[in-house]
Amino acid sequence: MEVEISRRKFLQGTVAMSVVGATAATSLLSNEHAAPEKSGSVSFHATKTGTGKSHDVATLCEMCVNKCAALARVEDGVVTKLNPNPLFPKSKNMLCARGNAGIQALYDPDRLKYPMIRIGEKGEGKFKRVTWDEAYKAILNGTDKFPGLSKILDEEEDNRSSMLFCAGEGMAEHTFKQFYQAFGSANWLNHASICLQTVASGYGVTLGVYPQADLENAEYIIMAGANRAEAIVTPDTMDLFKRTKGRGAKLICVDPRFTNTAAKADKWLAIKPGTDLAFVLALTYVTLTEELQNKEYIEANFNGYEEYSKSVIENKYTPEWAEPITGVKAKDIYTIAREFAAAAPKAIYYPGRRSTFAKSDFQLRRAMAIFQALHGAIDNEGGLIFGSKLPLKEHEGLMPLYDRAQARAIVKSTDSKGHQGYDDCAVVSGGGSWISWRNHFLEDKMPYKVRGMFCYKHNPMMNMPNTTKTAEMLRKMELVVTIDTMPSDTVMYADVVLPECTYLERTDPVKTFGGVEPSFAVRNKVIDPMFETKPVIEILKGLTTKISKPLFEISKKHDEELQDLIDEEGEEKAYTEFDLTLPFVHSQEELNHHAVAMYIGAAEKLHHDGVFYPKQDEYYKQLAANKFQYYPEKKKYYSTRGGKPKTPSGKVECVLGSFTAKGIDAMPVWRDEYEFSVPAGKFKLLTGRHAQFTQSGTSNNAMLRDLMPENFIWINKRVAEQKGIKFADMIEVSSSIGKTQLKAYPTEKIAPDQVFFIHGFGEESEELTWAYKNGGNDNMIIEDHIEPVYGAAAMHETNVEIRKV
Amino acid sequence: MARYGMVLDYKNCINCKACEVACKEENGILMGADKHRIWVGTGEIEGQYPLLDLTSNVFQPSQCQHCDDAPCEDVCPTQATFTDENGVVRVDVEKCILCTYCMNACPYDARYIEERTMTVDKCTFCTDTRLARGETTTACQNTCPTKVRIFGDLDDPNSEISEVLRVREHFSLKSHLGTNPKLFYLT
Repeated sequence: MEVEISRRKFLQGTVAMSVVGATAATSLLSNEHAAPEKSGSVSFHATKTGTGKSHDVATLCEMCVNKCAALARVEDGVVTKLNPNPLFPKSKNMLCARGNAGIQALYDPDRLKYPMIRIGEKGEGKFKRVTWDEAYKAILNGTDKFPGLSKILDEEEDNRSSMLFCAGEGMAEHTFKQFYQAFGSANWLNHASICLQTVASGYGVTLGVYPQADLENAEYIIMAGANRAEAIVTPDTMDLFKRTKGRGAKLICVDPRFTNTAAKADKWLAIKPGTDLAFVLALTYVTLTEELQNKEYIEANFNGYEEYSKSVIENKYTPEWAEPITGVKAKDIYTIAREFAAAAPKAIYYPGRRSTFAKSDFQLRRAMAIFQALHGAIDNEGGLIFGSKLPLKEHEGLMPLYDRAQARAIVKSTDSKGHQGYDDCAVVSGGGSWISWRNHFLEDKMPYKVRGMFCYKHNPMMNMPNTTKTAEMLRKMELVVTIDTMPSDTVMYADVVLPECTYLERTDPVKTFGGVEPSFAVRNKVIDPMFETKPVIEILKGLTTKISKPLFEISKKHDEELQDLIDEEGEEKAYTEFDLTLPFVHSQEELNHHAVAMYIGAAEKLHHDGVFYPKQDEYYKQLAANKFQYYPEKKKYYSTRGGKPKTPSGKVECVLGSFTAKGIDAMPVWRDEYEFSVPAGKFKLLTGRHAQFTQSGTSNNAMLRDLMPENFIWINKRVAEQKGIKFADMIEVSSSIGKTQLKAYPTEKIAPDQVFFIHGFGEESEELTWAYKNGGNDNMIIEDHIEPVYGAAAMHETNVEIRKV
Repeated sequence: MARYGMVLDYKNCINCKACEVACKEENGILMGADKHRIWVGTGEIEGQYPLLDLTSNVFQPSQCQHCDDAPCEDVCPTQATFTDENGVVRVDVEKCILCTYCMNACPYDARYIEERTMTVDKCTFCTDTRLARGETTTACQNTCPTKVRIFGDLDDPNSEISEVLRVREHFSLKSHLGTNPKLFYLT
């Protein structure tokens, strides 16, 4: 087949992902690039690689969460190119568009360059440049604009939990967490509850682990609610798309939207949003009634099989039952169940990694895990795998016992009906429930006062539903300290801004990557930090040196246990248990050396090559220009437990009796309230990702913006026509909590009762040249619906109206 | 001396645009969607939701085809466009007068205006960057997540590209024009 595409068409396509044939596009583009509103010409660092002297530094990418291995080419102290590092089994010699554009993050003129303290009103974004010492001092003692830690902790009688700590995902999150632990707060929030909490936990309680998928060898893959062509995960994305379209792996894509993954699939099922659970239950029904399951595996590895099987059959979760609920044809469900069973155990119902979208998400993930396990496709080549992981020597942290520190600020349910959990979710995991925490804080429902927060590499203003409430929360926090690389919307609400260097300017903790081909990889510093920025480990070293002793004095004043300890052991000895500087005494390089000390030559290899695993020199081979061997086939860890799940019982857990007491279904069952519905005249808002941006984290990247200048709202073409909406018309999208504006993309890739746009656009920080008011912000309009089991944000439960403006 | 060409296993392409960025960063190309040496073309989906035609949505990476019989070279009045000793179609910035005849003559729309030198620019197979340093891959091949591209010497019977072209069916774009492209798309 020959498809001919001209450059002219391509230009149009660039404007809105793959919008071709949109007539308004070219003029729109040329306007933007000819007359940038704000110093656009200086916001891009064009580097042509040279042929003279250069050196490569092995590092790990941080443009998204994947941590692909890169080789940074340095010429005359300037990073001129990021190339893939072929040595890493996880990323297999690739860097995506974002990885390549990392240079623009390093040389972004808008970067935070020096420490600052707030001099204007909260959220106004008016700061004064200060020295690091002045910044640390302001955190300790405050200014006339905000209180410092001394005042807060003294007034709260050394309740360390009066400070919240939150962090985004990243290799140095661990370093920041050590500060949190040493500080002694119990309030920790990370990205989990606005990310993969329910999928990780759903698989965790059912199979004992959130498994990986061997897409390199699977012959049948159901990918539902995951979009690996656009939300890239390594090695899954690379493994999968070389084999679809009749080339070894049959891919069934289940998604309400026609994504790039759908385009690469053998079949696309346009499911109604939030009804995947009914789809899986119907597949399970076919498997059980047609006896397609792996009885031997079930006999050896299941708990509660009879009960679950009875539930699915007696509830009559037939494909005919599922058809009107899901919009997927019954005959397709029969076919898929049979084909899946025929391909098993080289068959995968892909777990996915996405955010929680519907309130049924936890049960959905459980049903998916059980469906997979019914076929025995667990811990095997071509199935879901546990893999192997090389152990690292852990670095000991500091966890002082502060007697006055209160437990985590979560509110127990007062429900009289025997609901034993918390008041809006049953379980609170390590990462907490961001939305629940924020809303309780705003409603003054906390068991004690939380007065300030440390925020590391995290952008709550952009990352969770209901931006208006997040802004209120930040305004209400008396002391906000942010550690970040960019002047994000959240940084605008800071009292003290501590500028971190980018990932190319620091060494991060060495990390072990488990899987079929386990390895260690490390992010080595490529160039020295620019401006006055520092790696977080050095920031925390400086900060703790400043605050440790003064805060100890406050503990001494309020903490009777500590007073007793001092009486017994003397102050000097007692202080050693409370010395906040201890976790940061050693440099990151020293810590990494220590972490891999048990492997001969590993530290040197990691420093030089970025990657290490035992027998690497013997195993690693380049087989062709695009093909590498990391482990010989026979040495790969496809199966490590003979299929035995990793739950405490060693069985697949179909029935979770303990959850009933918390008001949660012990088994996945369908409930009427899960059904998809949209009031007339409204649209269900869907959100998601694509391959050129990582949420708001890359929103100011000049190169990526060049690929996609802004986000567009997908509106069904026929609906748009009825409403007189044309491509690039400005649309106001509103929900019960707010509104946002962005341009229209009429397309048949979306259903008439749904709209979609990409997350991470429409920032309000004026310090971001490219991202400022660029496109629409989904979190201005996504309502704060809470998933009932783990308190995750349910992001596809909002109905919106659209209006041409 | 070589005769460089490229094979594209285009069915692997997921339109992630890694190649476009790698090319820009490697070769120092200016910003702007109209300044790409390489790109991924797409066709708009056909059909009506949810009955869409999966085969209508194809991602096709494209760029200068480095034609053996290059129309751009024929029309150039100053011989700025030339085929170098390795079969790579290039532009001599000293000779280019920006008449843009070549841009019109190119059937693949592979040329654009470089605004710093005010000359016509195009894909060079990384000749003055990677190849000049002795590397054996182009930036686009090296970075591609799904490994669409294989670059190599068509005159070397033992090269990977020659081997692939012997055993895999392939086609060229607009082959009826007789330009003899050195880019080959695997079926």
